[in-house]
Amino acid sequence: MKIIHSIKSTVLRTIYLWKGALIIWFSSLLLVSMLAIPIKGALNSGFGKSMITEKLAGGLNFEVFADLGAAFKSIMSFFSVGLFMAILVGFILNAFFTGGVFERLKESSGKFSAGEFFRASAKNFWSFLVISLIISLIILVLAFLIIGIPLSIVGQSDSSPEGALFQTGLIVLSIFSLLLTVLLLVADYARAWQVTMDRNVCFKAIGFGFSQTFKTFLSSFPLMIILLVVQLSFGWLVLKILPGIRPATGAGVFLLFLLSQILFFLKIMLKIWRYGSVTVLMAVNSQEKAPEQTKDFR
Amino acid sequence: MRKSIVILFVVLVCVSPVKSQIVNKIPLSIRQTGYNIEATLDPSSKTVTGIMHAFWVNKSTDVVPDIQLHLYMNAFRNNKTTMNIESGGLSGYKDADSGWIDIKSFTDRYGKDLTSGMQFISPDDGNLQDLTVLKVTLPQAVKPGDTVFIKVNFETRLPGKIKRTGYKDDFFFVAQWFPKFGVYEPVGMRYSTKGAWNCHQFHANSEFYSNHSVYDVKITVPKEYVVGTGGMLISGVNPDANSKNKTLIYRAEDIVDFAWTAWPGYAVFTDQWEHVKITLLLPKERKDQVERQFKAVKNALEYFTRNVGKYPWPYLTIVDPPAKGNGAGGMEYTTIFTSESFTGVPAFYHFPEMVTIHEFGHAYFMGILASNEFEEPWLDEGVNSFWEERIMDHYYGESEGMLDLPWLKIADKSMSRLSYANSKSRQAVSNNEYSWNYPHGTYGMMSYNKTATWLYTLMGIIGEETTNEVFREYYKKWAFRHPSGDDFVNIVNEVVKKKYGDKFGSDMNWFFSQTLYGTGICDYKVANFYNRKLYQIDKKTTEIDSLSKKVEVADSLYKSVVELERLGEVMLPVDVLVHFKNGQEVVESWDGKSRVKDFTYTGKRMIDWVKIDPEFKIRMDVNYINNSMTDNPDNVPVRRITDKLISFMQFFISFISL
Repeated sequence: MKIIHSIKSTVLRTIYLWKGALIIWFSSLLLVSMLAIPIKGALNSGFGKSMITEKLAGGLNFEVFADLGAAFKSIMSFFSVGLFMAILVGFILNAFFTGGVFERLKESSGKFSAGEFFRASAKNFWSFLVISLIISLIILVLAFLIIGIPLSIVGQSDSSPEGALFQTGLIVLSIFSLLLTVLLLVADYARAWQVTMDRNVCFKAIGFGFSQTFKTFLSSFPLMIILLVVQLSFGWLVLKILPGIRPATGAGVFLLFLLSQILFFLKIMLKIWRYGSVTVLMAVNSQEKAPEQTKDFR
Repeated sequence: MRKSIVILFVVLVCVSPVKSQIVNKIPLSIRQTGYNIEATLDPSSKTVTGIMHAFWVNKSTDVVPDIQLHLYMNAFRNNKTTMNIESGGLSGYKDADSGWIDIKSFTDRYGKDLTSGMQFISPDDGNLQDLTVLKVTLPQAVKPGDTVFIKVNFETRLPGKIKRTGYKDDFFFVAQWFPKFGVYEPVGMRYSTKGAWNCHQFHANSEFYSNHSVYDVKITVPKEYVVGTGGMLISGVNPDANSKNKTLIYRAEDIVDFAWTAWPGYAVFTDQWEHVKITLLLPKERKDQVERQFKAVKNALEYFTRNVGKYPWPYLTIVDPPAKGNGAGGMEYTTIFTSESFTGVPAFYHFPEMVTIHEFGHAYFMGILASNEFEEPWLDEGVNSFWEERIMDHYYGESEGMLDLPWLKIADKSMSRLSYANSKSRQAVSNNEYSWNYPHGTYGMMSYNKTATWLYTLMGIIGEETTNEVFREYYKKWAFRHPSGDDFVNIVNEVVKKKYGDKFGSDMNWFFSQTLYGTGICDYKVANFYNRKLYQIDKKTTEIDSLSKKVEVADSLYKSVVELERLGEVMLPVDVLVHFKNGQEVVESWDGKSRVKDFTYTGKRMIDWVKIDPEFKIRMDVNYINNSMTDNPDNVPVRRITDKLISFMQFFISFISL
């Protein structure tokens, strides 16, 4: 019941935050455009007045790109470095805006103010960045331990039975997915709790995140599973829709761009919905518990 | 006693293979060599002990004083063999991994010991540590028409690190395992200027060369083992309850090598394609690949039969080794070959099909047309790659023969061109090189990929049907013989001359001198085109354009010029498609010889765009981008790709951020 309540009551809060989502969307578009537009320019320059681009009508064509020779190698080198930078900046931007989002999600209604949103983002930035970094680090270490090591052992072993790599992969991925779900809960609880504080107490917040996750595991875990299933289904839908669309005209490409950006905007809204649901569930759970217990964490 | 043994020996070795036709109704080859081997596998010591009776017939007019045999397995003997030196040594080499073949006894038909005439030779590099070629000087030279009979007792220890052959735990792939005759080449055969044995050492980048032979092989293995061979099962002796072993008797006719595998974990499936019984051995857990493997090999059988010639044997064995035996994967022994797949390989990735079709193709290029893989690797690997790519793209999609994803498709033929055109060493050496002499790691690129690329180019010039006719003629003339590269070129010349007369000159040697024997690259470029107004008449006229629309055009006169350049050394005839703004098109033929070429048009039409080789027939052209030019390039695909890149990165960054 709590789970349904959390999910349902967050829908409105999420919709109220559409302007915040717009800001996140725009910053993301700006960031990746800084990488994509030079690549577009380099490709156009490489192809020049050639009609070879006709061979790209059916999708990516390796032969065409390879014929760019040194230019292609430069593009790939720029892309790899640029992608790394974009991931880094994107990660920081996400930590920044999440502060504003969680702050706003505390309230169930009210008018959105961009100024307030940025102020809240700035206020929570350092603690959110530390929380994101620590949880991401834990995820990376777990990925290495749970996925990397077993798969390398099985993959490099000459004596592994047939299909062992495949089966091991399935098992370790399942385990990792469950742990990832828990860690996402920890991160969300930590951030939801941090915005209720006046000062940066990110380590305490992470502690609270772990504590809250395990104390309320029976309600929190199913909630996160539901939210992630919705998000993954949406991701699967996007993967089904976007790659197959290959418009041949400029207008068609523009429409594809609009569609992909709308889908990405919806992805942001789904993420906000996740944050909101966890925030509401935390509030519901804390109301049920003795008030002094919450104080202990403070 | 001794006499009776001799009689039995002669009957077994000589009479049995020649007189009895078990596999083929009539002999397909001259059967200059034959082998009768009793082999026993000992899984604990990883050895195969064998008793081999074999013969070689001197079909030449020479008096031959010796015989030469390959002892391939000695390439695994230590780290100083030619194969291991060329491989850069075996990393983590242990003595336990080594393989060898020991000759326990070597006698003639009368039981006379020949070991005193035995001598290891290293004809390729003089490496005294390499014991892969054995020369046996005979007490009496072999006169023309005479037959040498030998009896050899040998023990072969299989290597622990599988490189085509070897073992892993209880999996065995037994290839290059017995003493095998080299090929005696009399004057006039291939490039031979004097009669001599052609018996090369085992090299890292080389395969083999043998006479077509008859094999009668009796294999004894523990009874729980499943066996697959390149022969036809004649009888399987059922073990009695007390016996730990079983003995299987196989016969193979007119094949160039005999290999076999034994492993208790195989599941066996059979299928039929016309006259060919197909047997598939693969791990029991990999049943999801059975249908794919059968379909792939049937596709290959159908395509080769239609376009080259009949697959002459009534059976075929495919082995898809387990993961632990993947070192044996992707290898051919005519009537048995190994593929490479794994459990759960997705349907969009056609790698298993590619390997199966490629290795099956070697039944033709190497098996039936038994070229010298040591000296002319392009003639089997390259030619076979060309056919593999044609078959893959024909059956699995012209654009997606190798990979078929919604957002990324790769044709199999693209792989060869990508490898060749993007290789830094593409001009380091020509195709005409012994396999171990290719420098800078170019063996694979040159022998497989460059050859396939220039064969596609040849097909682009002479046409698909003529190309098929070339191969049909090549098959007809050279099946079960030993063709050389020159023999193939001569067939091309004959067929093209017959079909086209002198259209391409008196022969096609100009093509091969540049592609097969040359190191130049091919690159044609549209340097420029322009439309210069000569004068304008004010009057406007109405014309019908290509879309049947009436358009009003100024009645001006233009001089329109197309400027083409040849950037590479290779000169090939190319088509040039000139498209005018009024929808008209002209196809020009350029012999491609001069460094620059202009086409000039005077009239009311203006050039819209130009394409050299519009149908991409010249796949040797290393850069297709400069093959065309327009004033209005279509940037839509690049915009679309950029937009998708933007979305991909947005989703990705959002996904990995908490």
